[in-house]
Amino acid sequence: MAHSSEMISEDIVQYLKDHEQKSLLRFITCGSVDDGKSTLIGRLLYESKLLFEDQLAAVEAESKKFGTQGDNIDFALLVDGLAAEREQGITIDVAYRFFSTDKRKFIVADTPGHEQYTRNMVTGASTADVAILMVDARRGILTQTRRHSYLTSLIGIPHIVVAINKMDLVDYAEKTYTRIKEDYIEFARQIGIEQITFIPMSALAGDNITEPSNNMPWYHGTTLMGYLETVQVDDELMQKQPFRMAVQWVNRPNLDFRGFSGQLASGVIRPGDRIRALPSGKESTIATISTYDGNLPQAVAGQSVTLTLNDEIDISRGDMLTSAAEPASIGKQFETTIIWMHEEPLMPGRTYLMQIGSKTVTASITDIKHQVNVNTMEHLAAKKLELNGIGECNISLDQDIAFDPYKTNRDTGSFILIDRMTNNTVGAGLINFALRRSTNITVQHTEVNKAVRSSLKTQKPCIIWLTGLSGSGKSTIADLVEQKLLASGHHTYLLDGDNVRHGLNKDLGFTDQDRVENIRRIAEVSKLMVDAGLIVITSFISPFKAERQMARDMVEEGEFIEIFVNTPLDVAEDRDVKGLYKKARRGELKNFTGIDSPYEAPEAPELDLKTVEMTAEEAADKVIELLKSKGMI
Amino acid sequence: MSGKKLSSTELNKLRKEAVQLRLSGETLAAIREKTGLSNPTIISSHKRFIAGGWEAINTGKRGRPKTALSGPDSQHDCLEHMLTDLPAENTLWSSQKVRDWFSTHHHDLSLKTINRYLKSWGITAPESHSTATPKEWLMQHHPGLNSVQGGALNGLSTDDMPARKVLKGGIASFTTPAGQTDPRVRGHFIYAQDFRGKLYWLATAEKPDSKLIIRFLALLSHQFKSEMILSFHCVPLERYTDIQQWLARQSQLTLLTYSASIQSTRPVITPAHGEKELTQSYVRTTMALTHLQRLEAESIQIMREVVSKADNPVMLYSIGKDSAVMLHLAMKAFHPSKPPFPLLHVDTGWKFRDMYSFRDELVKKLGVELITYMNPEGLEKDINPFTHGSALHTDIMKTEGLKQALNKFKFDVAFGGARRDEEKSRAKERIFSFRTADHRWDPKNQRPELWKNYNANKRPGESIRVFPLSNWTELDIWQYIYLEQIPIVPLYLSAERPVVERDGTLIMVDDERMPLKPGEVPMMKKVRFRTLGCYPLTGAVESEADTLPAIIQEMLLTKTSERQGRMIDHDSAASMEKKKQEGYF
Repeated sequence: MAHSSEMISEDIVQYLKDHEQKSLLRFITCGSVDDGKSTLIGRLLYESKLLFEDQLAAVEAESKKFGTQGDNIDFALLVDGLAAEREQGITIDVAYRFFSTDKRKFIVADTPGHEQYTRNMVTGASTADVAILMVDARRGILTQTRRHSYLTSLIGIPHIVVAINKMDLVDYAEKTYTRIKEDYIEFARQIGIEQITFIPMSALAGDNITEPSNNMPWYHGTTLMGYLETVQVDDELMQKQPFRMAVQWVNRPNLDFRGFSGQLASGVIRPGDRIRALPSGKESTIATISTYDGNLPQAVAGQSVTLTLNDEIDISRGDMLTSAAEPASIGKQFETTIIWMHEEPLMPGRTYLMQIGSKTVTASITDIKHQVNVNTMEHLAAKKLELNGIGECNISLDQDIAFDPYKTNRDTGSFILIDRMTNNTVGAGLINFALRRSTNITVQHTEVNKAVRSSLKTQKPCIIWLTGLSGSGKSTIADLVEQKLLASGHHTYLLDGDNVRHGLNKDLGFTDQDRVENIRRIAEVSKLMVDAGLIVITSFISPFKAERQMARDMVEEGEFIEIFVNTPLDVAEDRDVKGLYKKARRGELKNFTGIDSPYEAPEAPELDLKTVEMTAEEAADKVIELLKSKGMI
Repeated sequence: MSGKKLSSTELNKLRKEAVQLRLSGETLAAIREKTGLSNPTIISSHKRFIAGGWEAINTGKRGRPKTALSGPDSQHDCLEHMLTDLPAENTLWSSQKVRDWFSTHHHDLSLKTINRYLKSWGITAPESHSTATPKEWLMQHHPGLNSVQGGALNGLSTDDMPARKVLKGGIASFTTPAGQTDPRVRGHFIYAQDFRGKLYWLATAEKPDSKLIIRFLALLSHQFKSEMILSFHCVPLERYTDIQQWLARQSQLTLLTYSASIQSTRPVITPAHGEKELTQSYVRTTMALTHLQRLEAESIQIMREVVSKADNPVMLYSIGKDSAVMLHLAMKAFHPSKPPFPLLHVDTGWKFRDMYSFRDELVKKLGVELITYMNPEGLEKDINPFTHGSALHTDIMKTEGLKQALNKFKFDVAFGGARRDEEKSRAKERIFSFRTADHRWDPKNQRPELWKNYNANKRPGESIRVFPLSNWTELDIWQYIYLEQIPIVPLYLSAERPVVERDGTLIMVDDERMPLKPGEVPMMKKVRFRTLGCYPLTGAVESEADTLPAIIQEMLLTKTSERQGRMIDHDSAASMEKKKQEGYF
């Protein structure tokens, strides 16, 4: 560092020129509170002299107040951010730190190591080139070390450093270092990690951080800083891959210019290169690589550019431009690995939004093949994925997307899942491969269709979806509605627990996942009946908003009529026609809606029937009125 | 300790201390013990105090004139004398007068030697290198001159000028070349200089105030019997009633003031200007991207995502250097289109004047849309940093103002220039930061950000702050400004500016709303700003850095972090976090 400061004071212009040429390395540190991870980052910041005096003074003051190092500077306090966690003494989220040396600039993602924060580690790892796994020399390889290793290899970080820390507390013994190294290599072989560097160190005492340690003459490898300054950055590897660019924005300032803006995920592109737009498959050649600084002779992976083409082909946001010779694949169904990031578990059958590159599609998990125990790497059978759960899942989309397997391209093979109700990012996923099983199924064009069938019946087909608690009066109202419709000559069908649970769905129970699947099947059957031109009445508790939304999305706009049979829990429980509430209260009936399973009331139903204010007859009349006003009958 | 070895300023301090002790009833022996002064000195000081007050205690030049060759001591003697007294015949000091003093007290020296001494003491006019004629000078520094007829300027117009003697003047500090000030000769001087370079001055050990300026003006008028115009580098002096009264009673002298440094009104020319070949290396054809190229590409990717997903995005524009970089990146991201969103400046009414003019010129030049918004309630109640304090001012004008503006124009996504390296609590801030319908930030309810996949879905009423510069450091920002030749407000570069000291912070007196103590006159100091905000809340740093590399050099060598200059941070370590929860940024 001495070199830098001299250069800064003597020839700042030269320093800036040198600094300008530095590359950027992003790395992640993994370890628990006790491994000295924060101390290591604090030490790196300190050694790169990037701390300001006022920051140091503040930390010195805080060291006395909260520190764990007596009167010495507690480096960990340099990196602990939010007030709440400072008081707790643990780090709770991904924090990003910055420093630079003579050779490189660094961004560190600091992630906590507790099991419940797998989510944070995956987040930090998703942008990292290098992972530093912290191991306490006194304790060796622990469960959490295995977990971190698995996650880093899953996320595909190409370089792994095992930092065997606190060597000062084991008298800098080579034996300890060798034992841990051998243990780790044994384990790494099992999960297929190849590129590993081992460094014995003491973050607290500064051994092998920037200077080779005099306390460990037996170690001849690189220091940690030496490693970080020289390891190859992932970027350059991506430039060797075929060209890929997701179109983020169509740039159309006037009629003479039509550019496609995006960031190159991989490859190199030059004017004249032949490209293919996916999923349309149309081809053209690059006319210009347009930037604010003028047209470029070439663009490489990592650059944000605007491309113009020699042919006018229809391309919009969400499409992917790829090399014509080596285009990306197209698929609609995939095997994926999903890391679940939300308290609300992943349910097979439920639909989510999938964001991949600049494209957003609707996705549903068709099957959880197995869950992975992150501590033992065992495969377990699972019906749902809880927070921080990792599973191999099959996923099905509502339209084709362009993709590459995650292993070959981190940008075009990764996606996030978004909850459609809360808008939260609930999961992260990696595409393993496309499933070809449905590729040959195409929609057969037929002469007789829904419109023809329903016009014969002089009605518009629809689903009258009754939702409400058990005992709210759904079945009674449904029955009355069907009678009234039949009386006026309409063609109907009523789906309820009796005719569905005993046949089509007799394999399903009452857990949350089974309820989701139950509704999915009912929705699919209803959709077929709507296609047949019928007015379908369904009478199910259908407690989750997400599934009702799924059913709504299956049919055309206006064909789904949601009716909330709005009976308060105490009223329904009071009625208790079938004695179910009593059973549930006694604990004889598990997962009973309203008692130990939630009911999510509709926010904007087409009709809200407050049954305490009206008779079932009146309620049914209101439904008929609504159908008339909507022109269905 | 012998009093004889002390300078007269130090001795005078001891004498005052002795009188104070005497007044508080201490015995002579005890005072002798504490101050080291002899009994006769203590007694005489006390007598002088009784006769003439505190001022009378001061002694002037001590001892007999020395005849030894001049050396550092004789120079100090001269300076000490200059700080407390006028030359013979009670005129202002000039190089000739200094020469006379040496002849009387030491021996003859050439005028050349005297000028060398003066230069080493820092007694030179800061803008003496100007080659402007008197008329040009007045036109440059007082552009309003021709338009103001009659009234305050007595019908003065540039055509009258040849008839009058024109002087340029100001207030400056003694500085030794090494940058260290000998405590014995620390002080300031009020000066006037004619256009042949001749300098006249009045020196003072204390901070100059309005009384001293009047004394200077009186001496100047007395010395030059002719009519004259003094172009004075200082804040407008009309605010001092005593100076105004003095000026009103005479007609010989016309006083004009200018406070903006002429340099600061010129556009910033970066050193790289005209050397585009040098910076061409930045757009390199080699394969590996530099760290700045990676950061630039990332920021552009983020901006394009926002524009594609937001209903009504806006870019918060604070006129500072981070905003400058953010705007430049936006120009790049959407080129050849203009950025498809307006800029929003939440104004407090207390920004530096240079900031307003810079903003208006830039917006015009780039052809982008700018919305400025000021909290009307705050405006009506005249919320200002002086009477209401920095906390309330910031809360009402900035935090509330921003919320009101976002609500009024129904912006759903707002770009901000905050960076993760600015403050510890920001290290965990997401790039897409979610706000509830009432603009609150909930640390527990932020979404994970994986790869380059940003989830911008939200419910009606909710909004997102997006920070495209999250991964930039202060050095990156400066280096990028330097490489890309991005225009910035000249206040970042050092220039002579009028400042006063408040609680150890240098505050620039940017306009007449800044309250001053009675008679207090701001000092012109070479200062610059590391961050820009409301001028009464933004501390200046004394600096010589007037080029971008010099700024970067200073930043790398000065070990205080950026936000120290901003007073709003000083409350507590977690204050930024609290402000964020309340929606400050």
